[in-house]
Formats: sequence, structure tokens, C-alpha cells
Amino acid sequence: MKLPLIAAATVVLLTGACGMPRDPEGTLDRVRGGTMRVGVTTADPFVVMEGDEPSGGVEVKLVEELAAELDAEIEWFHGSQEELFAALEVRELDLVIGGFTRTNPWSSKVALTHPYLTTFIGVGVPDQEDVGEDISGTVVAVEAGTVAAGLLKETDAEVVRVDDIATAEGAAAVENWLFDNLELYDTRVRLTESDHVMAVQVGENAWLTTVERFLLERHERIEELLEEEGTL
Amino acid sequence: MTISTRFEMPPEKERLYAKATRLEWITLIYLSSAVFFIYLTMGSSQAMKAAWLEDLLSLTPSAAFLVAARFRNRPPNEKFPYGFHRSISIAFLCASVALTLMGIFILFDSVMKLISFEHPSIGTVQPFGQPIWLGWFMLPALLWSAIPAAILGRVKLPLAAQLHDKVLHADAKMNKADWLTASAAMVGVIGIGLGLWWLDPIAAIVISVDILHDGWENLRAVISDLMDSRPQSVDHSSVDPLMARVENELLAMPWVREARVRLREEGHVYFGEAVVVPSRQDGLVENIKRAQEHLRSLDWKLHEIVIMPVTDLQHDELVRDEANSLRAPSS
Repeated sequence: MKLPLIAAATVVLLTGACGMPRDPEGTLDRVRGGTMRVGVTTADPFVVMEGDEPSGGVEVKLVEELAAELDAEIEWFHGSQEELFAALEVRELDLVIGGFTRTNPWSSKVALTHPYLTTFIGVGVPDQEDVGEDISGTVVAVEAGTVAAGLLKETDAEVVRVDDIATAEGAAAVENWLFDNLELYDTRVRLTESDHVMAVQVGENAWLTTVERFLLERHERIEELLEEEGTL
Repeated sequence: MTISTRFEMPPEKERLYAKATRLEWITLIYLSSAVFFIYLTMGSSQAMKAAWLEDLLSLTPSAAFLVAARFRNRPPNEKFPYGFHRSISIAFLCASVALTLMGIFILFDSVMKLISFEHPSIGTVQPFGQPIWLGWFMLPALLWSAIPAAILGRVKLPLAAQLHDKVLHADAKMNKADWLTASAAMVGVIGIGLGLWWLDPIAAIVISVDILHDGWENLRAVISDLMDSRPQSVDHSSVDPLMARVENELLAMPWVREARVRLREEGHVYFGEAVVVPSRQDGLVENIKRAQEHLRSLDWKLHEIVIMPVTDLQHDELVRDEANSLRAPSS
């Protein structure tokens, strides 16, 4: 009979259920006290590169702190997003960072962590009096060739494309971490929101939950890092 | 001709039917909650996906029952002279086809996941500000989909037989088997937790085979009903002896020399014809009327029977011989 067999199997499995989840390929055990293979691709201010080595960035710092907690050495691998995800899929890397968001198209081939930070692109104005949700007719500067420029086009604002947003005057559409830096006040006009994630090997659930736990328990630290790193 | 009465069942059966209707409403609401909880906690587990689809599809028999409950007692009209008893079979045919196709889909999908070594990832959620592994929420969601379902199934099964309701029977059987599905999915989830990734697609395969089995059995049953097979018990395990009994009752009447009866199911009730060779012609109409009343009093399920007097059953035999000769090539 099938039923008692399945019931028995459930009980046996439940008794061994402590310490769940575990990794099918033992990634966490290998990384702990060993080496963590991390793929990096440039994504200011999350990953800042200097040659082939990362020199800073929110995610780079977080990974360094995670490695310290796990007593692991980091081996960095620099590449394009596609190269790194392909390597992650075949388990040649343990973790890939590069300012990825939850909507990443690779999400079926790799495991994305629970979002650890939400950022947005918004419109900021230099004068606090001008803060309002209506930007129709307002002249808004935006960096050419960015998603912000494309999204701003869809609004009623008058779009001015600039090469470097730091040199722009007046209102600007920028990522939220740049508001302080550019001395802008948030108008609460949001062009898009991004849920930031890191990518790990698919199915390595102990490793995945370890990274997630690490990130989710450091909400304030992450905001602080973004404040430090998110400059022009 | 005899005009069908509107109501199918005697009062005590109607009371049982009202109870069954209440149970089906409870089932519908409860299963919706189970579907909701499993959806919330599904993650990327194949077994959870299979269990979710299974629960979602097991809504259809209860829904079909409740829809049919509205239609079955509608009086026959000019366009539908046999009434609406069969509305339930149509609802059930759709449900069975959906079940079968879904079973095939999940089976295929799970086998592909197994042979491509796809490791399911289940991460962390943070519902109360604390990071918790999602797998810990899957297990109670599955338990909720298993235990009340099994109880409902057990309560509904005897009702189905008493009401001669095949949809109710299929529904009760599916509810009862839901706990097999949920246990298999739990094994899959715990498998993922223990790093035995392959337990998840295997559990999903077990579930899909169960869905496919349900779908296939129901499809066979409902097709045989729609093809006017001879009346059978609700679980299709035995032939209803009523047909033979009606024939014997007719043969036992002094004015009947020969008789042949055929019956077919229209939802809960039977319709049919009896061809009789009377031994005498006097008082024939009265005899037929009395016989009809007597036969209908045998069983509430015998809703309508038309009795046709003929001179002999020769024609019947002739047709049969002709059919046989067509089937067997002359050698």
C-alpha cells in the first residue's frame, strides 16, 4: 500500500530535518574556512573595478564582510554578465555580483537572493519649495544613454540630455543615492524601482539562505554603505 | 408519451442532496484557501507546483456538482424534452479532460526537470521581520491541503452512492487522495531541505501519475455515461441490477409473454424503454399503465420508462443477425 509507505518516509525524513536546508553539492561547507569564488561585473556604486580587481562598491564590501564571517578567502573573477552567469550555471563560481535586480532574465538558470535593498530613479529639484508630484513642463536633466533618460521621455517633463549629470543645473532624474550628492530634494516622482539581489548557484539552498540571511540582517549597514559609495 | 416529472428524487434523498450541496460549498471554500496557501509558499519546488495544480483542478468536480445542482431539477422544455439531468455529465467531461491534460503536462515537465538535473532553489522569506527558510512554510501549507480534504472525502463518499451521483463520487475520491498528493509533496520539500534535490521532481512525478490516473478514470467513466452504457454503480465497479430486475418484473406479469428492457443514465436518474409481447390484447392500455406505475415504484432512480407493445421480438433478432453477418466476413 502506498499511503503508509509515504507516511513512514515522511517521518524518517522529518527526523533528519534538523539543519535544513542543506546543499546538494556542499557549497557552504566548501566555502566556510575555504575559498569563495566570486564573479564581478562593473556596476557603480555596487561594484567598482580597478583593472581586474574590485576596488570598492556596496556589494564588494558586503561580500568581503560575508567572507570574513565565514572565514573564507575570496577569489575574484572579472567578466561580463553573460560570462559570469554562464559560469555560475555550471558551478564554476559560487556568487556573482554586479548590481543585479530581481527582474534579471537569468533568474531561471541561477538562484537570485531575496531582495536586500530597493532603490529608485526619481526626479530631484534643487529648491525645497519646488517639491511636488507634478513635473509637467519642468526642465529635467538626465544623463544620455541611461534607462532614466528613456523613462523620463514618457513623462510630461521637458527632457534635457547631458553627458555628465554632475554638471547639470536645476532638476534632474537620478538614482536615489545621488540626491544628497547633487543637493537635490526628492519630488517623490518615481521613474522606476529596483530590487537588488545577488546571484548564487541554483539549488544550493544552504548557501543561498546563508547569503540571504547575511544580507537581510544588515539592512542599516547596507543603507550606510550606499551612502558612502553612492557618490559621483 | 409519459411526460417526465420535474423532480428527480424522493424527499429523503433531497435532504441528503441538500447535505451534499452544503459539503460541496465547504469543499469549494476550503480548497480555495488551500490553493491560496500553496501558491504563497510554492517557490521553485516542482512538487509544490504539482500539488498546487492538483488542488486547483480538484475544485472542478465540486464546482461541477454545484452548477449541476442548479440545473438538474429544471423542467423539460420544448428544446430540451429530456430535461437537464445530463448537465452534470457535460461539466464532468470538461473537468476530466482538464485533469488528464494537466497530468500529462506535469509528468512531462517533472521528467524533464529530473533528467536535466535541475536543482530547485528555495530561499528565505521575511514575513515577520525574521529571515526564515521558505520550506518551513511549505510543510504546514501542505498539511492544510491534506487533512481536511481527507475528512471531507470520507464524509462525501457514502453520500455519493446513496444519491447515485458520479461527480460527487469522483470528487470524494479526489479529496481522499489529496493526502497522498500532499504527503508526496512534503517528501519532495524535505528532500530539497536535505540536499536531495531529486526527491522533488520524483515526488512531482508521483503526483502527476496520480492526477493522470484520476483524469483517465473520470474520463472513461463520463464517456461511458455519455455513450449511454447500461447503468452502473457510482464507482463503475458493478452493473446496476435494476435493468434485469425491471425485465424480470415485466416477465412475471401474467399479460406479458416476452419482454426486453434497455435503460440509460441521465445524471442521477434512469430513462428507458421496455418492448413487450403481450399474451392477450384486452385491457392492454390499462395493463401498460399499471406496469409503468409498478416499475417506477421499484426504485426512485427509474425516472421514466416507456412500454411499447409489439407482436413479436423478431425484428430485434433480425437486426442482431444482420449486424453479426456484417461483422464477420463471409468465408
